[in-house]
Amino acid sequence: MRRAARLVPLAWLALGAIARADGWELDLDGRLVSSDAYPSYTQGGISGVRFSEDQSGLRLGRARLALTESLGELWTVHLDASAWGDYDRVAAGLTEAFLQFRPYPFAGYRLRVKAGAFYPPVSLENRSPGWESPYTLSYSAIDSWLAIELRTIGVEAQLDWLGTRQGHDFDLGATAGVFGWNDGAGGFIAGDGFMLTDRQTPLGGRVGLPNDPVLMNFEPFRELDGRAGVYGGLELRWLDRVVIRALRYDNRADPTAIDYATNAIAWETSFDSVGLRAESADGWTAIAQGLKGRTAIAPGGFYLSWPFKAAYALVARQLGKHMLSLRYDRFEVDTSIAEGDGSQTGHAWTAAYSFTPDAHWRFTLEWLQVASNSYFRSDAFGLPALATETQLQLAVRYALGSAVH
Amino acid sequence: MRPPARPGREKSALRAHAGLVALLGALAAGAAAHAATLVISVQTADGRPLPGVVVTAHALDAPAHKPAPIKAVMDQVNRAFEPDLLVIPVGSTVTFPNSDSVSHQIYSFSPAKRFQLPLYRGTPYPPVHFDQAGIVTLGCNIHDEMVGYLMVTDAPYYGRTSAVGAWSADVARGRYRIAIWHPRMRESEEDLERELTVGEADHAELTLRLTKSLTPAPLADRRHSWDY
Repeated sequence: MRRAARLVPLAWLALGAIARADGWELDLDGRLVSSDAYPSYTQGGISGVRFSEDQSGLRLGRARLALTESLGELWTVHLDASAWGDYDRVAAGLTEAFLQFRPYPFAGYRLRVKAGAFYPPVSLENRSPGWESPYTLSYSAIDSWLAIELRTIGVEAQLDWLGTRQGHDFDLGATAGVFGWNDGAGGFIAGDGFMLTDRQTPLGGRVGLPNDPVLMNFEPFRELDGRAGVYGGLELRWLDRVVIRALRYDNRADPTAIDYATNAIAWETSFDSVGLRAESADGWTAIAQGLKGRTAIAPGGFYLSWPFKAAYALVARQLGKHMLSLRYDRFEVDTSIAEGDGSQTGHAWTAAYSFTPDAHWRFTLEWLQVASNSYFRSDAFGLPALATETQLQLAVRYALGSAVH
Repeated sequence: MRPPARPGREKSALRAHAGLVALLGALAAGAAAHAATLVISVQTADGRPLPGVVVTAHALDAPAHKPAPIKAVMDQVNRAFEPDLLVIPVGSTVTFPNSDSVSHQIYSFSPAKRFQLPLYRGTPYPPVHFDQAGIVTLGCNIHDEMVGYLMVTDAPYYGRTSAVGAWSADVARGRYRIAIWHPRMRESEEDLERELTVGEADHAELTLRLTKSLTPAPLADRRHSWDY
């Protein structure tokens, strides 16, 4: 009781901060789930989808609070906090937190600089607030991996040439980022492989590996070797219809680095990604993206590597307040270990229908089927390596905020 | 700006009063110029009438009158410029009131007018003065998808084509340089410039047809269109 009483002024302060912020958004996403899947990494298992058979029923999809505050004319702070209703170190965490410098475009060029924690510019489907997809509930295999393991914790600069503001049909952009605290990225690929989820690991959050106790030991956002990672990207936009994005990412981790206190290993991970999104005036969207990379560790100088690749194609049609989406994913993890540790192949179909009656409400029905052949599913859990998992979700999402109307 | 003409009705009216017109013409003989109706029609490359096209008519003979500066308003409504295109004479001022509940940061890096104008909620800002002819492309530094246009002109006659793709004005007789512009037009303004003489007839018409297709219109439902 006394503790609750102490929380009242805190809550009051928080509400005051929200009310005064330049921009705020509160999203609540509830799910009715029917699944036949094995337990996923959040339950210490290995799965192709977010919710397992024993998690069928009513679930929290996501609860999110985002704040954007201007600091003078050209600086803004953005904080994005979410709870996922899964067991984690903390009940809620920040998925993104950054400071942005946004000078006025000058002589046809626009500069944007971000510092803090945020997503690198890779995704073509996750374009809604909170890094969500307007097309499906579950992200593609590529974006699910990024949600689980990847975040820029550092600085990114983006320079755009605004051709469309000067009588041309296209814009060009270049991005460069320098970051730390992502030496854990890649461990999930070698352990669980790819999956399709919409749970984003919060900053400081943990990800389970096969056979580990629930969400123990593995933190993707750690710095172990003191070496900064880098990425560089290019973007071409034709009007507001077509976007082509390419990115090369390398966390430049030292694969021999180990933190003996926690047994955490630095995963040397690099990848190339290229994707295209096209939209038409009559509501069609088509997205295709491919990602190819490699992750490696070398504990005691013994070098082990896992080449991986994933791709998807998505087609969506929006008809007023209704949208239908269909996506096909393929993914593969190879291994340098002769026995095949960590290898995985699979593909997935996602079909979703969403109804958005107004800016506040969205109702989505999604069917997702993942078929995969996973070495660890049989080696670590004694289950059949080959499995087909199906997850059906009905989501009701309510959004409230200064920009939601 | 003047309302579009209805040529058919005017023609018959003028025919009925041909004698009177001749008399008036004789009386006015020696006067430098008298009015005739100039009608400019604009068509797309495939021959359909194109509304909303900016038409300017520069007098090439006599030093024509300069259009009087105006006080125009370009609002910000639902994260869009309203209207999205304004034609104003050189020397005019434009107010950007911001009817949205969110802030905007209006800017232009166009040579005709470079400016930056933050529009915070509920704070009035002084109008912006446009003293050089040219096209001014407006953007918002916060909402990248917002785009608006100001055509600042020193032409004595100017306007935009109507729903049926035509613009008309009563102009003094003489030679004119006719130019058209539209944000989605791929041709440069010079490509489609024409000279036209408004002679003894009380009517001068010109139809301009674009040579290239228009760039596609911006996507209508932009709810999701931002990127990480």
